[in-house]
Amino acid sequence: MTNNPTPPERPPQIPNPIAQRTQPKITEPDPDFEAMKEKGGSNILNSLLKKPLSVVYELNKSPSSMLGTLCLINLVCLGVFGFVLGLFSAGDQLWAAPVKVIGGVFFSGMICLPSLYIFGALGGMDAKFPSVAGLMLTFLAITSLLLVGFAPVVWLFSTSSNSLVFFGFLSLAIWMVCLLFGMRVISRASRSMGGGNGGHLAIWAIIFATVTLQMTTSLRPIIGKSDKFLNLKEKRFFLGYWFEVIEDESTSPHRDIPDEESGRSTDY
Amino acid sequence: MCTQFIDFKWLPELCRGNSNLLQGWLVDHPRKSLLACIPAVILGCGAYGFTMGLWQGWEMASYVGIKLPLVIFTVLLVNGMINGMLAMVLGSGIGFRESVQFLLAGFGLMAIILGALSPITFMMALHAPNPDDPGAQQWHSVTLLTHTFMIAYAGIISHRSLLGHVKRFATTAAHGTRTFFAWLAGNLFVGAQISWIMRPFFGSPGLKVQLLRDDPMNGSFYETVFRALGHLTGF
Repeated sequence: MTNNPTPPERPPQIPNPIAQRTQPKITEPDPDFEAMKEKGGSNILNSLLKKPLSVVYELNKSPSSMLGTLCLINLVCLGVFGFVLGLFSAGDQLWAAPVKVIGGVFFSGMICLPSLYIFGALGGMDAKFPSVAGLMLTFLAITSLLLVGFAPVVWLFSTSSNSLVFFGFLSLAIWMVCLLFGMRVISRASRSMGGGNGGHLAIWAIIFATVTLQMTTSLRPIIGKSDKFLNLKEKRFFLGYWFEVIEDESTSPHRDIPDEESGRSTDY
Repeated sequence: MCTQFIDFKWLPELCRGNSNLLQGWLVDHPRKSLLACIPAVILGCGAYGFTMGLWQGWEMASYVGIKLPLVIFTVLLVNGMINGMLAMVLGSGIGFRESVQFLLAGFGLMAIILGALSPITFMMALHAPNPDDPGAQQWHSVTLLTHTFMIAYAGIISHRSLLGHVKRFATTAAHGTRTFFAWLAGNLFVGAQISWIMRPFFGSPGLKVQLLRDDPMNGSFYETVFRALGHLTGF
């Protein structure tokens, strides 16, 4: 026995996974989530590309402050992109395609706005409905701006491509790339407003993307030719319709032109 | 103003991948880099293009000498806006002007490498059989492979150097890498289509010598590839 007994070693603490899961995660605020230094049309455009969260911050402070400018950016950018898509078929599509693109994107935004609010709240995002509406407009504005950036590429293929399937898939691929950049802003904004890692918002993103893909079929034709402006009576799921178009093109006589005859496969 | 281009000091610096040179170009007035890179693309790609078409005669050589630099400038023009936007949204800290300067410097280096190889391809073209000769088809295949290898080599070396510059200039190396690969994907995608529109470059034996084919905007490079794949696989 000793006079100065050392206290018995405490058993190492086993981390409690349940407690860890329930503890609120403290995320560092995004450095871009701050007030815009200067306002005005060109500064908003610049901020949308460089510091989109500053636009979201301003909209959170006063939701009505930039709504007009953001709506205008969306209208002009989607109109330009729609016009370039319309160049594929030309004729009436030059005005019909921009109208359908603008209408389709705004309508998709409107029907997905309530779910963005709810899914954001499920993820812990602390924002009022007008702020979420502002976030939606910012997301659409970034997407539309990038679409305008891709417009020269789309123009290049719209004037040279003969294949509706190829041009359609190219346009959809570009749309999805631009959407991804827009979705990143929603995710970052959600984290800046107290949201978690964004599992719910990821589901919302899939829903929104699917809605816009269905719009391409509901508002058909956007790039092809048709006598009617809309074909709302004949209801189709977008995947079924796409397979139909692919099959139509693959069985069309145009496909059977031998490459050697046209001199394309060997000529470079 | 033109002394910087005339003394050619920038040329070995660009080849060595001197970061100070590009940093200086980005900080100073863009005129400096434009005065170096645009003539480099015109002369380097022009000279190389000339030798590419030479086996079909002087007419074809002149056409390709004009078209090859045009392909580079058209790609930059078509992709200019989206390259600048991608650099911004990917958080690289690179703006529109800088993105054009970066890519022009990359293409400038590629043109210098191609220009340096052009005496070899020039002699190769002089030793080529006539396009009507029996061995012309075989020569065409050899030429096609040689030029593809040389252009790919110049492209890889110049873009490797460009990647280093972009990583150093961007806010973080990861942002720089991401931006660089986004530019690369876009430029390759559009470049293939623009070069297809501006065909012929090598000129297939038996086909007319032309500046552009009769229907340059009819069809796309990718449709041709898909069609060729379809013929091969039977689908």
